[in-house]
Amino acid sequence: MTSEAKEATIGKRSPSASAAMSLTFTTDLAAVREFVRRCAQEAGLAEARAIDLVLAVSEVAANTLRHAKSAGTLEIWHDANEIVCQIRDRGFITDPLAGQRQPDADASGGHGLWIVNQVCDLVEMRSDESGTTIKLHMALHSS
Amino acid sequence: MTVTARESAGEPYTLVVVAGEADITNRDDLRGVLDAEVTQRPTTLILELSRLRFMDSSALHVILQANRALDRQGGVMALVAPQEAVAKMLKLTTADRLIPVFPSVAEATGG
Repeated sequence: MTSEAKEATIGKRSPSASAAMSLTFTTDLAAVREFVRRCAQEAGLAEARAIDLVLAVSEVAANTLRHAKSAGTLEIWHDANEIVCQIRDRGFITDPLAGQRQPDADASGGHGLWIVNQVCDLVEMRSDESGTTIKLHMALHSS
Repeated sequence: MTVTARESAGEPYTLVVVAGEADITNRDDLRGVLDAEVTQRPTTLILELSRLRFMDSSALHVILQANRALDRQGGVMALVAPQEAVAKMLKLTTADRLIPVFPSVAEATGG
């Protein structure tokens, strides 16, 4: 996918999508997780997948806390097919392949984005000097 | 998150009960307790997780570090009764292959 095509995808939201619920966070990750749990339940996401989504969003939000040095915003919406969580912060992820390789179990870091990529159906990441946007997609009904 | 350590009388193990939600914001508390216990050189250090609702990868790293330190001095760690979210984290990171997981404290102590 060219970077132009990816940019187009990242801005797109299906016309039938619900209004986005939004939360600004700094250090209260428990509140972030509770927010994701509530939105997942409203969207009708199965319990086991909701656990995965909470795990993924919490890892991304922890990265914000670790690297961005400013508040992050979380937006969640869903349509008939999927729930989407978008996390934005002022941090810059320099490694375009972050989260694509499995770290050793005993590695001292790098598990966060790996986990995110394992549990989500699609992960979109865009990062430059102005900040990072990560969009996590999860299908509401597993095929 | 609450962390409670109990030295068992007469039994060759130490039990640490971790409850609540463990993440990057409170992992230093977890590290403090685990480091202190490792210093006591227990034969077996059991982390009882049945009331731990959530654990992120930062908290897991603290547990893995303690496991390494314990291993170097000849001790072993065991995890007991992780809930679904915690079990998922252990599986995704393959940490469950480094540290044995048991359904109960009795099974972890071989009793």
